Amino acid sequence: MTSKKRYERPVVTKHYSGFMNKIGTSSFSKPMKEIDGVQVTELVEKFGSPLFIISERRIRQNQRNAYRIFKTRYPKVQFAWSYKTNYLNAVCSVFHQENSWAEVVSEFEYDKARALGIKGDNIIFNGPDKNKSALIKAIKEKSKIHIDHFDELYDIIEICDSENLRAKVAIRVNMDVGVYPKWDRFGFNYENGEAWQAIKRIVSNKNLELIGLHTHIGTYMMSTEAYRIAASKLASLARSIKEQFEIIIEYIDLGGGFASHNTLLGQYLPAEETIPSIDQFADAISSGLFELNFRQDELPFLILETGRALVDDTGYLVSTVLANKRLSDGKKALIIDAGVNILFTGFWYKHKITPAQDCGLHTEEAAIFGPLCMNIDVVRESITLPLLKKGDRVVIEYVGAYDMTQWMQFITLRPNVVMIMEDGSVELIRQAETLEYITQRELIPEKLKSKS
Amino acid sequence: MQPNKFFNYSFLMFIDSILYSYAQIFFSNRRWLGALILLVSMLMPTLGLMGLLGVIISNVSAAVLKFDSVKIRSGFYGFNGILFGAAIAYFYPLDLFLLMLIPIFVIITFFISSVLEHYLASSFNLPGLSLPFIVSLYIFLIFLTNYPQFIHQRLVFPYDTYISWIPNSIQLYFKSISLIIFQPGVLSGIIIAIGVLIFSRVLFTLSIISYLVSILFLNFLLPQAADNLIIVVGFNAILTSFALGGSLILPSKKSFVLVLISSIIVVIFTGFFYKLFSTSVLPILVLPFNFIVLSVIYSLKFRKEQSDLVLLYFSPGSPEENLYYHNNRSTRFDRFKYFFPELPFYGEWYVSQGFDGQYTHKDKWRFAWDFIVVDENKTQFSNDGNKLNDYYCFKMPVSSVLDGKVVKVIQSIPNNEVGEVNLDKNWGNTIIIDHGEGLLSATSHLDPDTIKVKENDYVLKGDVIGTCGNSGRSPYPHIHFQFQITDKVGDKTYLFPFAHFIEKHDDKLVAKSFDYPKQDTIIQNIVVNKSIKKAFNLKLGDKYDINFELNGKKFQESWEVKVDIYNLLYIENDKHDIAYIYLTEKVFYFSNYTGTKKSALYHYFLSAYQVPLCYSEQLVWEDEYAPSQVLGTSVRFLSEFFLSFKYFIQAKANFSFTQSEDSSTSFNIKNIISVYGSGFLSFYKKEYRCNVDISDAGYLDSYSVTDNKDYKFSAKILLSNGE
Repeated sequence: MTSKKRYERPVVTKHYSGFMNKIGTSSFSKPMKEIDGVQVTELVEKFGSPLFIISERRIRQNQRNAYRIFKTRYPKVQFAWSYKTNYLNAVCSVFHQENSWAEVVSEFEYDKARALGIKGDNIIFNGPDKNKSALIKAIKEKSKIHIDHFDELYDIIEICDSENLRAKVAIRVNMDVGVYPKWDRFGFNYENGEAWQAIKRIVSNKNLELIGLHTHIGTYMMSTEAYRIAASKLASLARSIKEQFEIIIEYIDLGGGFASHNTLLGQYLPAEETIPSIDQFADAISSGLFELNFRQDELPFLILETGRALVDDTGYLVSTVLANKRLSDGKKALIIDAGVNILFTGFWYKHKITPAQDCGLHTEEAAIFGPLCMNIDVVRESITLPLLKKGDRVVIEYVGAYDMTQWMQFITLRPNVVMIMEDGSVELIRQAETLEYITQRELIPEKLKSKS
Repeated sequence: MQPNKFFNYSFLMFIDSILYSYAQIFFSNRRWLGALILLVSMLMPTLGLMGLLGVIISNVSAAVLKFDSVKIRSGFYGFNGILFGAAIAYFYPLDLFLLMLIPIFVIITFFISSVLEHYLASSFNLPGLSLPFIVSLYIFLIFLTNYPQFIHQRLVFPYDTYISWIPNSIQLYFKSISLIIFQPGVLSGIIIAIGVLIFSRVLFTLSIISYLVSILFLNFLLPQAADNLIIVVGFNAILTSFALGGSLILPSKKSFVLVLISSIIVVIFTGFFYKLFSTSVLPILVLPFNFIVLSVIYSLKFRKEQSDLVLLYFSPGSPEENLYYHNNRSTRFDRFKYFFPELPFYGEWYVSQGFDGQYTHKDKWRFAWDFIVVDENKTQFSNDGNKLNDYYCFKMPVSSVLDGKVVKVIQSIPNNEVGEVNLDKNWGNTIIIDHGEGLLSATSHLDPDTIKVKENDYVLKGDVIGTCGNSGRSPYPHIHFQFQITDKVGDKTYLFPFAHFIEKHDDKLVAKSFDYPKQDTIIQNIVVNKSIKKAFNLKLGDKYDINFELNGKKFQESWEVKVDIYNLLYIENDKHDIAYIYLTEKVFYFSNYTGTKKSALYHYFLSAYQVPLCYSEQLVWEDEYAPSQVLGTSVRFLSEFFLSFKYFIQAKANFSFTQSEDSSTSFNIKNIISVYGSGFLSFYKKEYRCNVDISDAGYLDSYSVTDNKDYKFSAKILLSNGE
C-alpha cells in the first residue's frame, strides 16, 4: 500500500535570471528525520515540543578529536570544560568522563562542579566576580584561582593571611593580538606592564603559589594568528618568570573562543567554509608555545577551555509549526513554538533549520517568529524553507552552546532536554518546568492573599 | 653512644656472631637454626663446648684485630673455628695440654681462613667453604704425631642404643647429617634434619636425594661397605648437594641433575682420598665436598652463557629466597637497559606496522615500527583521504627518543601524493641520531620542509626534530622508526625497547616498561605528574615518621632514605628493615625488601611496589611479587619441596588510580595483590587490597593494607621530608 501523498499548498515562485536553471539551487539539505538513529517525531511525541536534544556520541567524538589534535602537537594537554557554555549536569559529566576538568566563573558554577564530584584541584576558577566566601572555599579546596584584577589579588592575600592558607593562583592576562574588539576588560594587561606587576606581587607573597598563566583572547575567533601571538606572549612571560624568579609554571591556559560551525548573522558564506578548523588553531598555538624553549620535563601543560567548538553541534532544538501567516509586504511568516527565550543564540547566529519530515521540492522565503507575544521574538528574519504547515516540525541545529545556560523562563516554560546516549537509548536530562517549579520561590505578602 | 648501650650493642653483636657461625655450617643465615645446632652440639658437652670455644676465640680474635664487623657478625670467620674445636674433641680425649693448644690453633685456623678466604675470593672469586678448617686440622694432627702420647680415638655415644628400632640405613642418614658437626649420633641428626627442613625444603629434599644416590652407588661398587665409609660418603654428598643444588647455585632442574651427578662423584673422590691418605694419620672428613664444590663452581664461571645454573651473585638467604629473589629480579628488571628511550612523537599514535610486519619489516628490518595517527574509529584521515592534509599524522611533530648527536639528515625528497611511492629513494627524508654507546636511531619518511635539525646538532630527548611526511616508500603519511648500530640509512635494525609508555585499550590505559609496542596498538608517552613525582622522587636523607596500626595495635616507626656502596637507594626503618628502591625518570619501583613483615616499611613496600609518575584515572599496571615477599604464604612451604622443578605459588599486583572521596588527598593508588596456587595448590587463593594516598602538594599522606577478612594495616605519615 502506498501512503497518501503529502498535500502542499500552491506556491508562486518568482524567477530570477542568472541562475544555472530556473529553479535555482536547492537551499536546504534533506529533511532531518532522525538524530543518532532516533526518530525525531517519536521523540517529540514522547517528550513534547519544543524539545532540546543532545547527542552524547557527538560530545565524546568532539572531545576526543580535540585531544588528539592538540596532543599530537604539544606533549602536555589538559581540557577544562567551560561550564557557562552548557552546565547541564549530564553534559558536564560526559566531558568529565572524557578527562576534562571544570572551568567555572562563579560560585554557583563552582558549587555545581563540586557537587558533580570534581575535586578542587581540577577546577579552574575564572571570572571577575569571586566573592570572599567563594574564594575561601576555593583556596581551601586547592582549586586553581585565576586572578582577574588587583582587588581580587588583595582579597586573596588578605584571606591567606587571616585564615593561614596557601593559594594556588594564576593570572589572567589580556593583550593585543591584532584583533578587534580587544578584550582588555578581563585580567591584567600585558603591554602596559600590569601583568608583570601582578606576577611580582604574587611571587613575593609566601602564601601564594604562582602556577599558571591564562588568557582568553575573545569569543568566536576567526583568526588563528591571534592564538599564535597569544601563545607566544604567554610563553615569553613564562620564560621571564623562570629567569627572574626561578619558578617554572605548571600550565599555560589559552582559554577558548574557537569559532564553531554556526554562521553569524552578518556572515555571507556559511561558517563551514570560512572559519579555521581546530587543527589550524592547534597549529598556531603549538607554534607559539615552542618559543618557550623549556626542557621537556619543565614544559608547562597547555590548558584549553574550549566550550562552543566542542558542544555547539551536539545540540538540536526540535520545534513545531504553530501557524503560517502573510505579512504586510506579502512575505510569508512562520510561527513556531520555540522563541528567543530558549533560543538565545538566535540573536547572533543564522542557525541551520531543517524540516523534520518529508517535504516537496519547492521553497519560499519566510520569516520565523517564536510563540512569545513580543515583537523581539524573531527566530530568523528570513530563511528559505520548503512549504510547512501547522503541526510540521523543524530541527534547529547547533544549539548546544549557551542556549541551555542563557535561556530564560519568559511567558512560557522551558521544555524537556533529552540526551541520546551512545547506545541509542534516550534519557531525559532536564525535566520541563512546571508552574509549581517556577512559583515555589515566590512569596505573597499576607495582605495580598486573596480571600475566597 | 652511652657506655651501657655500647655494651648492649657489642653483646648482641657477639651473640649474633656465634649463632650465625653455627648457621653458616648449613649454608643458613638464620639465628634460630644456629641456636638449634649449638644446642644439638651440647648433646655431647665436650664436643659442644669445644666448638663454642672455637667460635668464641675466632670471633674475638677477628674483633680485636678489627676485621670487618659485618663479616664477623655473619659468621664468616667463626664457623671454621667451631669445626676445628669440635674436631679436636672428637679425635682426642681432652686434657690440660690440649686445652692450652686449642686456643692457639683456633687462632691459626682463623688466620688460615682469613688468608684462604681472601685468596680464593680475590683470585678465583670462590668461597672458602671449610677448607681452612681442614688445612689447620691437618697441621694440628701432623704436629701431634711428634708426641706419641696423643693417639686419636673415637668416642662412643650412649644414646645410640635406644633408638635402634630405626632401620640402620635411615640411622646412617641421620648420622651423616650429624657428623657434619662431629656428632655421629642419630638423635642429633634427627634434630638437625628437622631444622634444615624448617629452614629450607629444597635443602632437605636434596639431602635425602643426594644421600640415597651416593649410598646406592657406593653399594653398587662396594656392597657391604663399612658404616663409617657410608657416613663419610653420606655427609660429603649432603654438603655437596646443599652447595650445588641450592645454596651456591640457584635451585633449578639443571642444578638438581648436577646434584645427582656430584653425589656419584663424591663416592669416587672419597675413594680417591681414602686411598691417598690410607698411610697417613689424616682423616678425609669434608675434603671431597670442598674439592668437588670448588672445582665445579670454578669451572662453571668459564661458560659463555650464565643464564642457567646461576651462581649466587647476592648476599644469600635460604635457597628458596635466593631463587625467588633471582626470578623476581629477572622477570621485573632483566629487560631494563642503560638507555631510556621514549616514543618519537607527542600524543597518541597507532602502530600500523610492528616487528615482522606484513609489508616491509622483514629480515634485516624486522625490528622496526611504522606509526600513524588515527581517530576513535581507527580511521587515519578525515574527509576522503585523498589529500595529504586529510591525514591526521601529516606534519605532526616527530621528536628525538633520547639525547644524542644528529649524524645524518636527508631532507631533499618531496612528499608523495597519496597512494604513490618513491621506490628510488625508498627511505625518504631521514634523520639518524647517535645516542652514544653504539646505539643510533633512524626516523624516516619525514616532511622535507619542516626538518628542524642539521648534522652535528645535539638534541635532547623529546626535542622536535621534524614532522611526519610522506616521502620515500610511503603511500600515505607515516613515520618509520628503528634502532640501529650504524649511521647508514636503511641499515639493519637493532632490537631495543622503549623505556616507558602507555598502551591504550578500549576501557583502560596500560603502563608498559622496557617493552616493544605491538602492531595495531595505540600508544603514548608517559607525561610526568608533578605531585606524584614529588611523592616518589626519594632523595638521600629524606626522613619519614609514621604512626601505624596493625590488627588493632598501635606502633610508631621512622624511616630514612640511604644509599649503599653500589649506589642503590633504599629506605631503612629504625628496626633496620630495608626496602630497596629503583627509580627511573618516569617510574618508581621497590626492588626488594628484607626484614620483618610487621613493619610499616614492609606494608609500604607492598603497596607502592611500582608507581608510574603520572596520573590518569584509566591507567592500570601490573607487577609480580616473589611468593616469599607477600603476606601469609606459609602454604608455599609445601610447594618448596619441588621448587627446583616448578613454581606453585604466584603473587600478582594489579594497580590503578582511583578518585578519592576525601578532598585532603588528591591521588589514590589502589593495588590488589592476588596470591594464588597452581597444580596441587590450586585451592589456594588470597587477596589483599592496598591503598596509597598522596596529597596534591606531593606528599605521602597515608596508606593501608587489608584482606577480605580481618587483616588490617593502616598508616598515617606524620612527617615527610621535614614537612
